[in-house]
Amino acid sequence: MMAEAAHVLDMDIEKRLGAFTLDVQVQADNELLVLFGPSGSGKTVTLRCIAGLETPDTGTISIGGEPVFDTHAKTNIPARRRPIAFVPQGYALFPHMTVEENIAFGMPRSPGRPGRIRELLTLLHLEGLERRYPRTLSGGQQQRVALARALARDVEVLLLDEPFSALDEALREGLRHELLRLRQELGLTTVFVTHDLREAHLLADHMAVIDAGRILQTGGRDEVFKRPASRRVAQLTGVENILPATVLRREDDAADVTIAGMSFRCTSLADGATTDDATFAGVRAERINLRRWREDVPPNHLVARVADEWAYGNTHTLRFEPAAEGPALVVELASRPYEVLGVSHQREWLLEVPPEDLHLMPA
Amino acid sequence: MSFDGLELSAIRVSAQVMALATLMCIVVGTTLAWYIARSGRRVAALLSALALLPLVIPPSAVGYYLLYAFGRQSTFGNFLIDDVGLRLVFTWPGAAIAAGVVSLPLFVRTAQAGFEQIDPELLAVASTMASPFRAFVRVALPLAWPALVAATLIAAARSLGEFGATVIIAGNIPGETQTVPAAIYDAVQAGDRPRANALAFFSLVFGLVVLAGLSLVLQRQRYR
Repeated sequence: MMAEAAHVLDMDIEKRLGAFTLDVQVQADNELLVLFGPSGSGKTVTLRCIAGLETPDTGTISIGGEPVFDTHAKTNIPARRRPIAFVPQGYALFPHMTVEENIAFGMPRSPGRPGRIRELLTLLHLEGLERRYPRTLSGGQQQRVALARALARDVEVLLLDEPFSALDEALREGLRHELLRLRQELGLTTVFVTHDLREAHLLADHMAVIDAGRILQTGGRDEVFKRPASRRVAQLTGVENILPATVLRREDDAADVTIAGMSFRCTSLADGATTDDATFAGVRAERINLRRWREDVPPNHLVARVADEWAYGNTHTLRFEPAAEGPALVVELASRPYEVLGVSHQREWLLEVPPEDLHLMPA
Repeated sequence: MSFDGLELSAIRVSAQVMALATLMCIVVGTTLAWYIARSGRRVAALLSALALLPLVIPPSAVGYYLLYAFGRQSTFGNFLIDDVGLRLVFTWPGAAIAAGVVSLPLFVRTAQAGFEQIDPELLAVASTMASPFRAFVRVALPLAWPALVAATLIAAARSLGEFGATVIIAGNIPGETQTVPAAIYDAVQAGDRPRANALAFFSLVFGLVVLAGLSLVLQRQRYR
């Protein structure tokens, strides 16, 4: 990575919307940035501020090193002059234009235009649909036309607002892979808004987690998923077990903690979390191992019984109650180990919580 | 049915008044309706009220104000007559302006509804790719098209029927500024039943044609 070069996208803005205040800082560089948050967290407004469809109250936005918005310099470049392409949630294809006309809408008239349109039709597998109207296309085809129309313009940043949310799961999966392929072929900086965890994990190079108008954490995808900065981020990124913890002893990159009266070793610590504020420990359900019961219980192992279970087909979710000391834990098991271990008749197990998967973080 | 010269001239004047008044509604009304549909709540309410004003005051009062504005009594009227050389009082273009003002609210209401039913996301996306003018011409106009056609037909019908405002500003000069409604009024006053019948029947047939066209347009709008 280049040092100190201007980011392709750099924003730091504030905007009041009634009782809600949006206060976000986002950077992106030639990558796919997932803006991840629950509905109503402000991710769509953030995207529309970048596009120039909403005006922040204060702050700056620059794209490709050029300021497009700056309250001090009184800069506010209109949407059409910003090097962005915006795909809203419902695609917003022009219903009175054919596929070809939709794609051509934002392109300047030039001798190269027909060729470029043909390239885009090929790139997005839309050959043969040029003369069709949007309402005659399937949801997936409409989505691809919207992408083609966005890519038709020579832009620096592609803005996608929950582009796959209106499609059924099978179609969504295909389009996600398609988007990854396009990303690799075009190398475009992309901001992708979603509230879908799986989608975020699949697509993200970097992630910004947003909640109630604030960015809670930004970082590489694995960083955010494995080392959430706070309890709220852990919740939002789907950590099933979040438990109040008391730190007994703190070393540089490890700690001994007590959770529900039982002590654990943990070696994953949120950045900057001090002994005083690191009061929650989180572990993902799929990181907990089931072991056969034995007399001498090793460290970081807990004796527990299955209290509830839900079969999802390819996975089983089990809720364990401790036999004596220790927390109740949710464990996810793939169906194959579930059967091989014989969990359906053997109910008492040793649960191993690996120290590297037990993450300590502030509230 | 056959018309005599006087009746034909009334129909001709009415047609001229209708054409010019409708054109005026299309230009002013479309612009106004677009701004109302696109502006914030307060500005929209203000413009909307202004555009509706001619609907809630008597047409004769509209005619009276226009007479004042275009005549010798006002500075603007003197400016029009002396500097621009435009005489509107006692002319058919004056009648057309009066008819246009009276018809404008109906046009604006109908056109505004057409613009407001456009998905704002379409206009947002268009605004990221094209100038406001291009977005208006290529996206807003085609999508509001049925409503604009309906608005035009309603305005045309209304301006054809306008009596109070046109008579006050343009008078009732047979062969010159006398419109169909004014001629019917004259004929009834003079007890000329055949003439009143002929012109009233013409109005009826024209009205039916407009209504048929209107329902055709609205039908197609429902189809989309």
